[in-house]
Amino acid sequence: MNFRSTCKACISLFRIRMAEGLQYRVSAISGVFVSVFWGLLECVLFTVFYTYSDNGAWNNNGLALPQTISYVWLAQGLFVLQTMSIDSEIMGKINNGDVGVELCRPLNLYTHWFVKSSAGKLGTAWLRSLATILAGLLMPAGYALGAPASALGFACFLLSAGMAFVLCSSFAMFVTAIRLNITWGDGPTYMLLLFSGILSGTYLPLRLWPDFMQTFLYLQPFGGFADIPVQLYIGSLTPSAALPAIGLQFFWSIVFIAAGRTIMNHKLKNIIVQGG
Amino acid sequence: MIAPPVPLGWNYERMNAILSQLPVNVMIFCTKEVHQMQIVLKDIRKTFKVYKRPEGKWGLLKGAFMRNVTQVEALAGIGFEIAEGELVGYIGPNGAGKSTTVKVMSGILTPDNGECTIMGKVPWKNRVEHVSKIGVVFGQRSQLWWDVPVADSFDVLKDIYAIPTGDYKTRLAELTATLGVEALLKTPVRQLSLGQRMRCELVAALLHRPKILFLDEPTIGLDAVSKLALRNFLKEENRKYGVTMVLTTHDMDDIEALCERVMVIGHGQLLYDGRLGGLQEKYAPEVITKVNTDAMIAAMYNDLSLV
Repeated sequence: MNFRSTCKACISLFRIRMAEGLQYRVSAISGVFVSVFWGLLECVLFTVFYTYSDNGAWNNNGLALPQTISYVWLAQGLFVLQTMSIDSEIMGKINNGDVGVELCRPLNLYTHWFVKSSAGKLGTAWLRSLATILAGLLMPAGYALGAPASALGFACFLLSAGMAFVLCSSFAMFVTAIRLNITWGDGPTYMLLLFSGILSGTYLPLRLWPDFMQTFLYLQPFGGFADIPVQLYIGSLTPSAALPAIGLQFFWSIVFIAAGRTIMNHKLKNIIVQGG
Repeated sequence: MIAPPVPLGWNYERMNAILSQLPVNVMIFCTKEVHQMQIVLKDIRKTFKVYKRPEGKWGLLKGAFMRNVTQVEALAGIGFEIAEGELVGYIGPNGAGKSTTVKVMSGILTPDNGECTIMGKVPWKNRVEHVSKIGVVFGQRSQLWWDVPVADSFDVLKDIYAIPTGDYKTRLAELTATLGVEALLKTPVRQLSLGQRMRCELVAALLHRPKILFLDEPTIGLDAVSKLALRNFLKEENRKYGVTMVLTTHDMDDIEALCERVMVIGHGQLLYDGRLGGLQEKYAPEVITKVNTDAMIAAMYNDLSLV
């Protein structure tokens, strides 16, 4: 299998998985409602906090209320890239032993599944993401998503959001590789996923966390899911800081891919293909 | 076991007479006909760990902290050879190790012990290259994408196996015509009946013109008409392209219709390897004629115009 035909196979797999995902439009619509509801709730909460605490004097990391509101909407928009659970098709295959069928394909299993799960994510995600951001733009003035800090910042945001997709996918595959240990069950994976979700800043913007944690929060891998791109948009990270930040996302993607591949290859050596 | 063939008796006197007439400078090479076997398995062993809960009143609780591990020997030294173009039936009771053998041969499973060469190579050493030359049909699993039309699945397989477009078109047309699934190409897989899906699975497994086809219970759950169609198709494919086929099944009519050679496996060991007729002579000598029930049922369905 040379590189070119592998790419072609991947594109083909990506397309069919997207098409499959698009069939579940109702789930995408309901997802938008959840995101918008959650976003509104956060907007109200933050407004209350900022209003009654002397306009954010309680945090000195320089995140004003309008920035926080924008952060909330964008984070909701990017949230869909994150994995809340392992791709259902792959999960089914792990549980009932169809891994065997997947292994009968002349493709590296890691590459195969990486493409499948990321395409599965993107199938509905872009719809849901755009709809959420549109809802954010249409909100009444106090709760609306603001304009980007600068044109360059917006370009950096787009680039970083693309990188966030790669990072999220490689983390999802890392978790999937761990889940190949059938007998461990869902516990460890859900813990990992929840942990990553909290550290991504989707629930509480990372800038609002205690000061002494800021260096750690910047360097840890999960900020790249949402926090880095969003900060580039709202301007709390300047375009001059974009290169190291995106570099950081890239670095962690490589780490997760390497770890995922290693775990998977190790696991495949003594895999048990379940069922007769 | 079948008795080995009787060695030919040499007529030495006659040989000497011929040899003495030959010119002295003619050298005679005795060449043994080397028949390259396509599939060779030697003493393949595989054990699985099975966890058992301790018995007794507190077993459930105890089981949470300690587990009894038992080793189950799925394959206890299997060995056989299959030549190119052979159609071999592989039978045995549930849990005998049939599927495990198929998994070993398709490179999915690495055995603990033993040698296996298929087309001159070890399947699990270079899995990707190996699986591009074989086709596998698991009767109980699907290799098609559930939510999209069948044709889309085939298109993805074309790209996965890097089949040239021209070849793909002719092959697809040929396969769909012989299996009668042209009309189904635009239907999502989830809306196909089992028989229709199985035919599509076969198309999917044969698109890339594999040299070897492993069939793991391909006729499970199929009605008589679909079974017959499947069998005829497999026979034809074997005759036309010389595809080697290994078929595991519990349906003895499958074996009877398709396979000259049968291998019986039990407790992870090969118990019989030879003609199906040999089994019949040994275990059912009194049976003379047998009604082909599948053909009978198929005729009935046709008569009642159910299909």
